[in-house]
Amino acid sequence: MQYSLSSSSRLCLLLNILLPALFVVAGLSIMASAATAQALAVNPLQGQSRAAYAGGVLFRAQCATCHGADARGIDSIDAPDLTQMWSQRDYSDARVFAIIRQGLPGTIMPPHGFTDTEIWMLVTYLRSVAVTGVRELPAGNVMRGRRLFADQCADCHRVGQFGGILGPNLSNILQRQSLTAITQAVRAPQLAVNPDFKTVDLITAEGRRLRGVLRNEDAFSVQMIDEGQRLQAFKKSELAELRFPDVSLMPAFANAQLSTGELADILNFIEFAHTESGQ
Amino acid sequence: MIHPAKLIKNAVCCCLLAIPTLFAQAQDDTGPDYEDILAGFDDPQRWLTYSGDYSGRRHSPLTQITPGNVQQLRPVWTFQTGTTTRGRGFETTPLVDDGVLYVTGSNNYAWAIDARTGRPFWSYRRNLPDDLTYGASAPVNRGFGMLGNRLFMVTLDAYLLAMDRRTGEILWERQLADYKVGYAATLAPLVIDGKVIVGISGGEYATRGFIEAYDPLSGERLWRFNTIPGPGEPGSETWPDDPEVLARGGGGTWMNGSFDPELNLIYWGVGNPNPDYYGELRPGDNLYSNSLVALDAESGALRWHYQFTPHDLNDWDSNHVPVLADIEWRGQPRRVVMVGNRNGFFYVLDRVSGELLLGEPFTATSWAREIGADGRPIVLNDGSDGCLPDPWGSTNFMPPSFYPGLDLFILNARETCATYVPEEPANAPGQANFGGVVFIDGEKGYGALRALDVHSGELIWEFTYPSPTFGGVTTTASGLVWAGDHEGNFMAFDAASGDNLWHYQTGSRIWGAAAMTFMLDGQQLVLIPSGTTLTAFALEPLR
Repeated sequence: MQYSLSSSSRLCLLLNILLPALFVVAGLSIMASAATAQALAVNPLQGQSRAAYAGGVLFRAQCATCHGADARGIDSIDAPDLTQMWSQRDYSDARVFAIIRQGLPGTIMPPHGFTDTEIWMLVTYLRSVAVTGVRELPAGNVMRGRRLFADQCADCHRVGQFGGILGPNLSNILQRQSLTAITQAVRAPQLAVNPDFKTVDLITAEGRRLRGVLRNEDAFSVQMIDEGQRLQAFKKSELAELRFPDVSLMPAFANAQLSTGELADILNFIEFAHTESGQ
Repeated sequence: MIHPAKLIKNAVCCCLLAIPTLFAQAQDDTGPDYEDILAGFDDPQRWLTYSGDYSGRRHSPLTQITPGNVQQLRPVWTFQTGTTTRGRGFETTPLVDDGVLYVTGSNNYAWAIDARTGRPFWSYRRNLPDDLTYGASAPVNRGFGMLGNRLFMVTLDAYLLAMDRRTGEILWERQLADYKVGYAATLAPLVIDGKVIVGISGGEYATRGFIEAYDPLSGERLWRFNTIPGPGEPGSETWPDDPEVLARGGGGTWMNGSFDPELNLIYWGVGNPNPDYYGELRPGDNLYSNSLVALDAESGALRWHYQFTPHDLNDWDSNHVPVLADIEWRGQPRRVVMVGNRNGFFYVLDRVSGELLLGEPFTATSWAREIGADGRPIVLNDGSDGCLPDPWGSTNFMPPSFYPGLDLFILNARETCATYVPEEPANAPGQANFGGVVFIDGEKGYGALRALDVHSGELIWEFTYPSPTFGGVTTTASGLVWAGDHEGNFMAFDAASGDNLWHYQTGSRIWGAAAMTFMLDGQQLVLIPSGTTLTAFALEPLR
């Protein structure tokens, strides 16, 4: 009688028997996936605790032999401490994804036959156990940072009670995200749209156009914060158009608009406000 | 018609007389008997069993509320349960007789409620142990069974209770299984002639499922069917030769079955094998997990079975209400049973023989797209190609409805994307052992009310929701479909076109519950449980 293989036996098969073939497959997929590289640049599961949890189980089943059950590595076989990955090296999620899929040629790290989702779950898990936050904040001027925050950020973001409500509260951002991630969110916000701040575009029956942040939705209605930061709700049946474009309301700040030094000033203001608030 | 005050007076009298079985016969002289339940919807003022009748079709003949006037529907009262259901829903279907609703709630609360005012005659709350197992994770209940002056309710600590319907007093209780191992009970007992049929929950623990029949009067156990065979019994060849594996093989029976009185067969769905996601220790098809079983009502003997998902690795229990209908099939009259399965397929089987007549997918599932000539699914994606339907499935236990004439099978479908990560579990009594974890990509999920042509499985119409739903479906003969969604809307649709005609935001997701309807003082009432409320709707204020 023939039975379908469970996922775990499938993984074992992949690891033990199909490894030579996978080198070829992985090589091909590198070429074939050039077009999708952009799509893969961002972890679609970023910050999702359930994905991190499932990724942890997968990690313990498939990766712990070399990297240890706590991902802190095993010195004797030269398997690195993965919790230091983002603090010691400037890896993007996409780079970690690629290493898991393709392996590291010339090292003991082999390619793996996980699905995209499984790899993103592993990346999310590794992010969750990584030493997080901004480790060494570049020097900056708190007072100048406060002015810049008020001018450039406070329409949408808050530090403490100060600022707008269209975007995430930034009071604890330095404790939650790496400098790399924060910089990416400022320079290229479209790469990772925060799922809690989805954009909504609508046109009312009278032809009024509104853009804002989605707060809730059911089959018959939609609740949003418009760009004027007003809480508004509409019946879907009374809208001429309703769209959820996959874009962030956050504008990209190029170096010309916000220099690296100015960003450091803002971050120092945020750090100062956070410390002063005693949180 | 008995006046409420008289009911209370009767109740007081009976309090004095209760307990001794000596009086049981006399007490049972009033109230609906088996013939009344058998008559199903014949009396429009009654709803006497979970689906309204034994067929599981949940199709009421009432026609006062129509596609033309449903816009005028309004809430006439709301009953607050005062008990919450963390992570799940208010899943009950009320029964009604003589203007009194009999309602079970979460955490084994129960009430008799005046259908005119929404005010309770009595309340019941079981004193549950604080170390519940499965019952703590799903503290739900789906309703009463009813016979004479007796109500039957199962409990989260795995007991069957017989209660006096006039007072809520316990007449007898029987332990079904040991809750400390992982058992619980949540379904609405099925009352047939001389028997109360129950099933058991707990397939996420090291348990072994069963279906049992009890004597309604004495509480004596009449028969038991084990859903996982013992060593050497038929079906055991689909398991490893290991008594320990069989003894914890799972196969819960936690959702109501249906009954064909002519064939004297009970149809019941069986749940997942245990552990849920880790199949290494249980190679084989693992009968009778994920199957529909047809049992002789008299003896509990297995007449036939059909397994929807052999060797399940995704927790796709087959605990659905089997829907019985007599339809014309390829030009011949045929007695069929229909199932919209958690694995994403809609099935039609001959309910006399168990022959598979149709198996077609009703979601975009990539797991399989067809059933082979041998009656087994042709599995295309065991998870290695990404996205499978999540463990809650392509639909779940929430009741579907069959609309005769239109020959539509109407159900709430769930389109989801999940990645399963199996892991060898420990098998400790009282500890859940899923055998791994699952990640569900919430961004890729949505729900839809779908109407399928039962002759082909073809999608005739659908109405989509932003998220996958657990709301059940009821139909009424005026051409209406009643459904609930995960955002809390209770809705009415045109059965032929699928057009949405009316909706009411209840304030909490409608989970596991489907509407029930009946006539009261000349008015058609429609009831839906949601969150911590039971709300009644009618076209005019109640008199």
